Amino acid sequence: MNSAPHIIQIALGAASSWQVKTVSERAADALSSNIWESIAYMAVALAAVGLLITFLGLSLIYVERKLAAHFQCRLGPMRVGPHGIFQTLADTIKLLVKEDIIPQEADKPMHLLAPFLCLAVPVLILGVVPYSPMTQIADVNIGVLFVTAVGGFGVMGILLGGWSSNNKWSMLGAMRAGAQIISYEVSATLALLVVVLFAGTMSLAGIVESQQQGWWIWRAHGVGIVAFIVYVIASTAEINRTPFDIPEGESELTAGFHTEYSGLRFSFFFLAEFINMFVVAALTSTLFLGGWMPFHIGEWEAFNGVMDLVPPGVWFVGKSSFIIFVIMWFRWTFPRLRVDQLMHLEWKVLLPIGLINLLAAALLVLRHLYFFPAA
Amino acid sequence: MIASASYTVIFYLLAALAVLLSLAVVNAWKLLRAAIALMGVLSMSAGLYVMLDASFLAGVQVLVYVGGIVVLIVFAVMLTRSAELLQDNPAPLRKILGAIASLAFLAATVGVFRSSPFLLSAEKAPLRDNTTLIGEKLLDYGAGGYVLPFEIISLLLLIAIIGGIVVARKTEPQGQPFTTGGDEAGEAEFRPPFTQEEHEDELELVEK
Repeated sequence: MNSAPHIIQIALGAASSWQVKTVSERAADALSSNIWESIAYMAVALAAVGLLITFLGLSLIYVERKLAAHFQCRLGPMRVGPHGIFQTLADTIKLLVKEDIIPQEADKPMHLLAPFLCLAVPVLILGVVPYSPMTQIADVNIGVLFVTAVGGFGVMGILLGGWSSNNKWSMLGAMRAGAQIISYEVSATLALLVVVLFAGTMSLAGIVESQQQGWWIWRAHGVGIVAFIVYVIASTAEINRTPFDIPEGESELTAGFHTEYSGLRFSFFFLAEFINMFVVAALTSTLFLGGWMPFHIGEWEAFNGVMDLVPPGVWFVGKSSFIIFVIMWFRWTFPRLRVDQLMHLEWKVLLPIGLINLLAAALLVLRHLYFFPAA
Repeated sequence: MIASASYTVIFYLLAALAVLLSLAVVNAWKLLRAAIALMGVLSMSAGLYVMLDASFLAGVQVLVYVGGIVVLIVFAVMLTRSAELLQDNPAPLRKILGAIASLAFLAATVGVFRSSPFLLSAEKAPLRDNTTLIGEKLLDYGAGGYVLPFEIISLLLLIAIIGGIVVARKTEPQGQPFTTGGDEAGEAEFRPPFTQEEHEDELELVEK
């Protein structure tokens, strides 16, 4: 561990390169010498993801309820623990001990499989998110493609849950969710490609390192901010959050695709939604806001040195929390879209903007017309 | 030693799962279960690509087949309510023909595999970051480049997209009753041939 001199180097403002070492690299290094060390790394990674999911589930639900309450001049949960911080824990225990009901006419194996498919997607993506230079489980060199590809399983989980419940509300919700997610995936991917073009790599750690001189949202001469806005809108639709929550619109479809789920399996869908929100926030900050990279401006050594004093993990958490706050803010600001408005927004507004933006980005990259181009 | 052993174990795990899931695809009674098993088979082959260091191909496999084609199949099944149509029993002649066809395919595959020499390179995993190489090859117009096939495929996809739009385009309702002009602008001016008030008037007339 030679991190101490490294930190001093950063504090002096002389950090020229960050050493990224993922947990899977450590495990692979240890595999040839000591297999138990390798197994220990894998166990730590698994336990860390498990703890992260638990923490995210408990905290994000509490934050959502508190924010909702304060936006509406209410107090929110106040009874269980100081300021109600144990409310989610109590609700979780209630959900765990509730009876797990499967409808008699349901397709049972499919009904049981659907929540797992839904939860597997954000968990798989959590494994490739760079939290800090030392905290990343695996860095696949197709990072962005991996994230987009794995998302396909989530659609399957929702379609399957809706179909296997043998309930028309569930079925309608699933169809709406499927159409919505597939449509908005196009715009989200176009926005991601802009960053891939500028960074010249698909690896998430590589994209973070490419933002040493500045974040892509402002370094890319307007193209970055357009891609950022398109990505935030499209990914909010992909995770079925308000104002794009027609798949589970309470006033129309009871609860949409998860109407027939109860107890633990319902909580899986619920948890998947919240972890998806974190995943979107983490990816947005990684791709557009520099991930764990501190706020740097080109060659301003003194300014960059001061910014380097804040640890990378804190930068990452701060940026992700801000995006999560914005997504929760949407919920109490915009009314729900109708189905036709939803399709209009995607195919006639976001898609043309995304395509033109990608073309403009390609021209900018070709001419090196962005701030601080690498030599 | 341990690395290669775990490599072998993972390979046989993926292979066995792929075979089992393929059997499930053809033996499932419900069309949707077959689609889910197909999703499993495709994911397993993506896993095999990862083991061959072809991670870009694996990503595209999952993106196109799981996220695209299987979702499309599931959509078709859901929209057509054909989920339980598989329960008919095929005629004996069709069974025999199917068996002959599959045996012939098996024989052809085994024959090809036995007769072709596999040129395994002695170097281990020559292509690490193959995404970059694929990108360069696709846009290379020199010798060994693939820019012409790439452009032809782009044209083909463009034709397919335009075809899709033409097929799905909304046609004018020609005097059909009980249809609105769709969700386009001008829907408000469209007057259905039968309004609620006219309906009530008619009911009153019938009562009289």
